[in-house]
Amino acid sequence: MKKDLISMDDLTLDEIKIYLEVARRIEAMPLPERLRVLPGKIMASLFFEPSTRTRLSFESAMHRLGGSVIGFADQGATSVSKGETLSDTIQTIENYVDIIVMRHPGEGTARRAAELTDLPVINAGDGSNQHPTQTLLDLYTIEKDLGRIEGITMAFVGDLKYSRTVHSLVRALMKFNVTEFYLVAPEALRLPGYFMMNDQPGRYRFIETESLEEAIAKCDILYMTRIQRERFPDLLEYEKVKDSYVLSHSMLASAKADLRVLHPLPRVNEISTDVDHTRFAGYFPQTRNGVIMRQAILSMHLGGRI
Amino acid sequence: MSTDKNVMLIPKIESGIVIDHIPAGFGVRILEIISHYTQVTDTIISLGLNYQSQRLGRKDLIKLQVEYLDPEIIQHISIVVPGVTVKAIKNFAVQNKVVVQPPHEIRNLLHCKNPKCISTTEQAIETHFKMVDPASKKVKCVYCERIFDLHELKLKQVF
Repeated sequence: MKKDLISMDDLTLDEIKIYLEVARRIEAMPLPERLRVLPGKIMASLFFEPSTRTRLSFESAMHRLGGSVIGFADQGATSVSKGETLSDTIQTIENYVDIIVMRHPGEGTARRAAELTDLPVINAGDGSNQHPTQTLLDLYTIEKDLGRIEGITMAFVGDLKYSRTVHSLVRALMKFNVTEFYLVAPEALRLPGYFMMNDQPGRYRFIETESLEEAIAKCDILYMTRIQRERFPDLLEYEKVKDSYVLSHSMLASAKADLRVLHPLPRVNEISTDVDHTRFAGYFPQTRNGVIMRQAILSMHLGGRI
Repeated sequence: MSTDKNVMLIPKIESGIVIDHIPAGFGVRILEIISHYTQVTDTIISLGLNYQSQRLGRKDLIKLQVEYLDPEIIQHISIVVPGVTVKAIKNFAVQNKVVVQPPHEIRNLLHCKNPKCISTTEQAIETHFKMVDPASKKVKCVYCERIFDLHELKLKQVF
């Protein structure tokens, strides 16, 4: 298998299915047995940019497989703040650990890091480019919730321009023969055209609409995203669009019975709390799946016994 | 008679490289590119402009007294003017010829346009693009994975 996990574009459909299968096996494993998967292994958790869920779920995943974690959650406390290059940082840290998990605002940083070291590198988010571990856990969640991925109808809502989660998931779903996508976004945050590019014109339908209700009535998965303040160079532009789409319980009246609402979290106000306790809410189980999928990833890239 | 006239303008070479079928107007641009590579520093080079061409109407051509052209130079030409023909001449005859195709990969020649791309912010990285759609000349940065039109990317060195 591949040494690194950098981009969903690097993975074939069969390789993605292996990650899903290993996650299923991990979930079925009793907790004490999981602790024997990666004993003695050390994970570097290099977060050059703030993160709660991704970092903590990776760290939790590693601890629960019997391994340990070193790293940082803020580059201000490291030599990077003294001007150290990425190359020097990686070539230093590789002496301390068995695997590197990194998040960085620079796009392409994980791929660069992978070139610099023989250790496996896992991309935990590089700017607005890729976030493959989130995509894999999203696929795992969809498969668990609906019992299938192929042929479903997806709706993406909110920031489709800057959201790396959306970008990665769209490309991955296309590999699973998902052909119908509702894209609900304000004009300034529409999905860039090159994510819809493919070599089979006419096979995929991307329906761009500003009507959330239209998408709710048609889709199996309603994937909500936060409008990301930190990605806007101009805060006035952010103020214009920040409250564009807010999902409430009453809007789900026309939804299919088994529709699931997913969200990579954190949310701000785009999903009202009155949705949380409905059968549609899938976003908290989604975070639980995050630990399971990250255990699958760590064990696969470190040769753990599953 | 017109062919003989051309021969008088630029003599046939006994051996060397001819870059032919250059669309009129691009001859000077290609000459400018190749003249910056050390391989051709002391080489005799002839440039012909605005020759009649059945295929192009008007064409430019360049003759160089070198045995071969560095792949780097051909890569560079393929980005600026794909479709030209490079002919190897020996004993006044064409030994070999290739039509320069748009490249599949472009290494360390173009700047990525994305200011957040690691290849623009970190020193000592060779840029690397892959052609994703030769028909529309769209290339993808291997690092940040953004897709660009080839013509919108600037060359790394200022030629």
